[in-house]
Amino acid sequence: MDISDTPEEAAFRAEARAWLDEHATPRGQSTEEPDLGDHVQRARDWQRTLHEHGWAGLSWPEEFGGRGLPGAFATVFAEEMAGFEETTGSLTVSLGMVAPTLMAHGTPEQQEHIAKMLRGEELWCQLFSEPGAGSDLATLGTRAERDGDVWVVNGQKVWTSLAQFADYGILLARTDPDLPKHTGISYFIVDMNDPGIEIRPLVQMTGQAHFNETFLTDVRIPAENMVGGVGEGWSVARTTLTSERSSIAGGNSGWSVETLIEEARARGRCDDPVVRQQLAAAHCRAEVLKVMGYRIRTATSQGRFPGPEALAMKLGYARHWVASTETAMELLGADATMYDQSEPWQYAFLNQFAIRLGGGTDEVQQNIIGELGLGLPREPSADRGVPWKDLPR
Amino acid sequence: MNFDLSEEQQVIADLAAQLFGDLATTERVKAAEQGDGIDRELWASIAEAGLLALSLPESAGGSGMGLVELCLVAQQIGRTVAPVPFTSTTVAAMTLAEHGVGTDLLPGVADGSVILASALAETGANDPLAPSVIATRSGDGAVRLVGEKPAVPALPLATAVLVPAMLDGATILALVDLSTATAGVEITPLKTTSRESQGHLTLDVDVPASHVIDDDAALEQLFLRSIAALSAVQLGVGEGSVAMAAEHVSNRQQFGRPLSAFQAVSQRAADAYIFNEAIRSTVYNAAWQLENEPGDKARADTLAAAYWSSEGTEKVVLAAQHLHGGVGADIEYPVHRYFQWGMQNATALGTATSHLVRLGDQLATR
Repeated sequence: MDISDTPEEAAFRAEARAWLDEHATPRGQSTEEPDLGDHVQRARDWQRTLHEHGWAGLSWPEEFGGRGLPGAFATVFAEEMAGFEETTGSLTVSLGMVAPTLMAHGTPEQQEHIAKMLRGEELWCQLFSEPGAGSDLATLGTRAERDGDVWVVNGQKVWTSLAQFADYGILLARTDPDLPKHTGISYFIVDMNDPGIEIRPLVQMTGQAHFNETFLTDVRIPAENMVGGVGEGWSVARTTLTSERSSIAGGNSGWSVETLIEEARARGRCDDPVVRQQLAAAHCRAEVLKVMGYRIRTATSQGRFPGPEALAMKLGYARHWVASTETAMELLGADATMYDQSEPWQYAFLNQFAIRLGGGTDEVQQNIIGELGLGLPREPSADRGVPWKDLPR
Repeated sequence: MNFDLSEEQQVIADLAAQLFGDLATTERVKAAEQGDGIDRELWASIAEAGLLALSLPESAGGSGMGLVELCLVAQQIGRTVAPVPFTSTTVAAMTLAEHGVGTDLLPGVADGSVILASALAETGANDPLAPSVIATRSGDGAVRLVGEKPAVPALPLATAVLVPAMLDGATILALVDLSTATAGVEITPLKTTSRESQGHLTLDVDVPASHVIDDDAALEQLFLRSIAALSAVQLGVGEGSVAMAAEHVSNRQQFGRPLSAFQAVSQRAADAYIFNEAIRSTVYNAAWQLENEPGDKARADTLAAAYWSSEGTEKVVLAAQHLHGGVGADIEYPVHRYFQWGMQNATALGTATSHLVRLGDQLATR
């Protein structure tokens, strides 16, 4: 057990820091609030810059354009990056979810997208949730029917993050309604410029339209764009969903306990003992997430799959988000009630539902932890083995 | 960065798990509770296996390891609620070795013949860093200690006790010999909820200069190591209680299915699991930091571990007790011990709130 940097990690940290000092903007120096479109473009530009200078795909295999470094190096870079404004958050679906899925399940042609994501050229979105399929995602009803060399897709997706900016999407659709729900699903790559796709932004209480409704009408997808085989969509999607949970938990939140303490200090609240306890509790929560990250990266770098404790990360992160942004609202006092999109704490507070619900709700996470962490028998499911077409909807 | 145990550490963890698993059976724990609160046979086995000498320097016949290794053993003590004064003795011994005080006791620590206590708890707000015992100089570096210490673990069993005191506005640690009856040293055995052996200490006694650690930083170091070790015990307590609860709710059938198939049950158990993982992460991080990179960060990390092992373990043992239903209420059934250990340890060296207050002071003023 050794929590300090190895000499190689320490040298890498110094190199990363020197490069960031030269190329990135220290946190707190930027005052302008870009709109969502600008924000997305900046993420693409920053990803391109990272790639040009050899800082992209640090722990990705070299065959996919990565540097093939142990996971600890990606952690070191993320730790140094936390002090700067730039973020690739808009590329989370592309880099954190689609790329790992295509690495594991894609054909060589499909894997050619990976290099383009790494350069910031392609932005992807996730077409999974539907109005009738949320926590029970596998009950989704968007249909894909074979027509020669193409699949014809009809249906509706919802909560599609950044669909209005996306070049491609990953899509789950039902290819066989006669099979039980998990087995009749296939996984596709869809070109978001296809004429059968209509995107309607959903404005959220943050004031932003991060989410969208996506309507698919006779969208024609070439058969070679299926990832995995016919009916194998659910097992491919599990890779995406696992990656989604770890992407959310490892994400760059735009706030930290340090910025929370700075806020308290700036508002003259640091002498309040109750405020101090809340700041200390936030620190304790962040500490758990940090050390859990060490544990998970250690497992990965030793060639092991992280244990069920990794499942607790996303839930812990969501709870930390909820409690800490609530503390921030208390610190803001009357300012907390002002509708101000440039107020980062208020945005984070209002955005908490995206963190708690995305990638599986808090309660879904608890169920999985009970089953995998403690080996508890599953709750009996009423729809086991029932053909999808016979399920109540 | 590597959070995995080294091969040597894994051997220690496995050895401790096997030893306590085999020897700290419910029957033996009960017998010790009805006696003087220590399983002496188990204590001798721990000594023989070298576990009491792990963190002593090689010059004192020890293995020269540190707090991480000590915590690996402490965790197994919690897991089996084993009645032995391990953390009390070994943490105090680390302090003695470090300051070269009472080193004649260390071979006895290694072979199990010496039990040590640290009188950290305080009456009132229970702030171990603000000792109420007053020391005055009595010539040639000797000090006179006057005051009282409540709830001192292992005191009735101990050969000597480390007593924090105030001397000229700074803190000291004084080693008080208990091997022979001494005028001015009074020990009252206490009955505690966890059935751990504890005593109340009343002092009006001279301590020779050779037994005084006149270093203001020594008390905080002893306190931080003690709460790290206690947190490791709490990790084991939480693990043991959740394992029992998971087995119970998986096997007990009600309404035609296992209890755990109800989400109200499984989600409460899942939250207990999450707390245990939070404690595991922060405890081993804290032990490593205290050992390898002592300073403000190690202090904050240790307070975070203590917070989780107070706040978290309370919730864990409460859930495990509750999930056992009526069967858990019977003291012939072992789960209540985990509840009582978890609750007692959660307040022993400060509550979750007091750890937050201390940490908040540090964060807000840096």
